[in-house]
Amino acid sequence: MRNRLKVLRAERNWSQADLADKLDVSRQSVNAIETGKYDPSLPLAFKIAKVFGLPIEQIFSDDEVAQAAE
Amino acid sequence: MAGFEDHAVTRETNPKIISNARRYTGNMVVAGVLYTVFVFAGAYATRIDDLPRWALVVAALAPLLPALLMLRAYVIFLNGIDEFQRRIQTEGVLIAAAVVGFGTFAYGFLEEWVGLPHLPLLWVLPALIGVWGVAVCILRMRYQ
Repeated sequence: MRNRLKVLRAERNWSQADLADKLDVSRQSVNAIETGKYDPSLPLAFKIAKVFGLPIEQIFSDDEVAQAAE
Repeated sequence: MAGFEDHAVTRETNPKIISNARRYTGNMVVAGVLYTVFVFAGAYATRIDDLPRWALVVAALAPLLPALLMLRAYVIFLNGIDEFQRRIQTEGVLIAAAVVGFGTFAYGFLEEWVGLPHLPLLWVLPALIGVWGVAVCILRMRYQ
């Protein structure tokens, strides 16, 4: 699964620690999600969407779908 | 843009995570001190002449209580961490169970059939904890 966490975070000038605090997770967890090493659960994905104020599909996308779009 | 870069070495700042880690450390220290006291007291008790068998059994099983307190501390810690950290912990436990389980199983055959020296079962739990610790460190580095 791909995500735009790093870009969205940069747009808001948030550090990984800032985002981690907003999501109530560890900074390492934010890093693992951003680098694609860990796919968040659905509740956490919804929480991320809520923090950024965006629909979930604008943050996360399926690998195959993203590749096809490119 | 200050602070936007990846912070691979930044310490955790979330107060909930920090307090959970502190509570875990505190609980483990208390259990560790009790464990040490019970082990020394038990070892001393076994040297007392004519100690009834039931007292020896109590002395031998007493260190189990602080060991169970350690387990309780770990369960409380697990319930206080986020889903990704919990995944690292559970993967670590699974790796430890596999390594120690299959390792002791294999050594059991070597002991019985090849005549390798007998190892006490007492070392199974410390081995589990040791391998779990190493596995968690490796997993943390892998996900870094």
